[in-house]
Amino acid sequence: MASEVAVTIVTVRDIFQDEAGRKSRFSDEYKNLSALIILDKQDLAQLGAKDGQKLLVKNDVGSVIVAARTSEDDAHPGLAFMYNSPWSNQLVSDDVCDGSIPGNKRIKATLSIAEGNVTQISELQARMQS
Amino acid sequence: MAICTGCSLLCEDIVAALENGAFSHVKNLCRKGHSHFQAAFTERTVPMIDGEKVDLDRAIAKAAEILKSAKSPLLYGWSNSTLEAQAAGIRLAEKLGATIDDTSSFCQGILTERILSGKIPTCTLDDVRNYADTTIFWGSDPSSSHPRHLSRFSYYPRGEKRQKSYEEERTCIAVDVRKSATAKLCSNYYFRVAPGGDAQFMEAILAVLEGKIPKVGDKKKMIELSSVLKKTEWGAIFPGLGMIYSLQDNMELFERLLAKLNEITTFKVIPMVGHYNMRGFNELMLEKTGFINRVSFKDGAVAHGPEHSALAAAKTCDTALVIGSDPLSALPFGTARALARQPLIAIDPRRSLTTDAAKVVIPSAISGLEAGGTAVRMDGVTIKFEPIIGTLLLSDEQIITRIMEAI
Ligand code: SF4
Repeated sequence: MASEVAVTIVTVRDIFQDEAGRKSRFSDEYKNLSALIILDKQDLAQLGAKDGQKLLVKNDVGSVIVAARTSEDDAHPGLAFMYNSPWSNQLVSDDVCDGSIPGNKRIKATLSIAEGNVTQISELQARMQS
Repeated sequence: MAICTGCSLLCEDIVAALENGAFSHVKNLCRKGHSHFQAAFTERTVPMIDGEKVDLDRAIAKAAEILKSAKSPLLYGWSNSTLEAQAAGIRLAEKLGATIDDTSSFCQGILTERILSGKIPTCTLDDVRNYADTTIFWGSDPSSSHPRHLSRFSYYPRGEKRQKSYEEERTCIAVDVRKSATAKLCSNYYFRVAPGGDAQFMEAILAVLEGKIPKVGDKKKMIELSSVLKKTEWGAIFPGLGMIYSLQDNMELFERLLAKLNEITTFKVIPMVGHYNMRGFNELMLEKTGFINRVSFKDGAVAHGPEHSALAAAKTCDTALVIGSDPLSALPFGTARALARQPLIAIDPRRSLTTDAAKVVIPSAISGLEAGGTAVRMDGVTIKFEPIIGTLLLSDEQIITRIMEAI
């Protein structure tokens, strides 16, 4: 078991999360479908974490606490997925390649078991104003 | 029939019955479209200045005052506005000497530019329905992003030359970093690429098409793919952000692949534009300025370049007008924070992170539901629509015109 696991996060879309975001960006439904990270079983096992475990995801850009979800895809250790949202955007660098494309598709981050709840939208809003 | 502005498919066959101010019955909407329609009745914005409710005239006057005194304003959003509102926005940018940009700047713009300049062959979605026997979803997942894409155009329907069932007539291929909902449908023809591995995969396809051994991928599967591509009568590729972000400045490789495929057979490309009128903004900007996005009108001249992209301008502007977009949710944290620190003017029908942070909020009518206008579908087809709900709210075009008059 490891206290920290390094992953590459790719941001993707999900119709259910999209639907929740269209209804309200401030609902628990949107938070529950956005503040999560989809991980390979092997990465979860390495952390000693189970489905639903709160994880601190951090990198040079920022950090968020989100819930782990076990991937149903073929094995992809080291590769994680997050849905496009203000939570995943906490980790996206705005250093752009050619002035155009932010690094949403290859975010390097580390994971560790978190104490406490997932980061609230109000906390993300406060960070923006700080 | 109503139109859905939930995505750039602009489905025109929506049946919606209203009763007592709510939809009592809707037909043909997908899950995404359904939430787009229902959203008309929740979390609507009201005119505000500094978090206090004001009347609309005051909010518009305040917006005009902020913009008038700004030295380097940014006008951003536009992909969820009608062509008429976009045209008014371009005039406003000219008048103010502002920077104007939309989401295509860090999305499908890089590909749309090549489509509009004729470097990449394209077609309409109706052509896809009528002729395509092979469709490739490359870094795109329409089942999540454009839910009726497969049923209306690219896989399931019968078309002029595709009269048999889809199992017999059409082959659907997915290239993606994950087995997305769409990739699951493509079963045998799902090709997993590593993040950033799309260029290598393109090189591998080029190699097998030329009868060489590919350097990546399962050789047997790659040879099978090559034979599907060679046997294709009429193919279409739908690139999503997955491919575009992965290729970045290597779009020439995609052009090479298309040139090779078109030596053998016919292959066309339609970018999987997300917002309902992103393509419209690009076409209009090209017509008015010679560039599809990222334009500054400072000192009366048209300047274009990465320094005028919304991502860059967010950090150099002294105010931003954001219309029909929620950059504080959608952009990288550093950019969102830079914008949040400016006096923001948000024109939006609904509450968002951006309206919450805005100095001035101006509520608008929802295009397609409460406001009519014109938009350009992802494949370049122009679609006109009328509102289906009566409202006293102003359309984006009317708001921009009022701001311009006040300035
Ligand atoms: S596919 Fe797009 S335009 Fe069509 S109903 Fe769904 S959200 Fe609306």
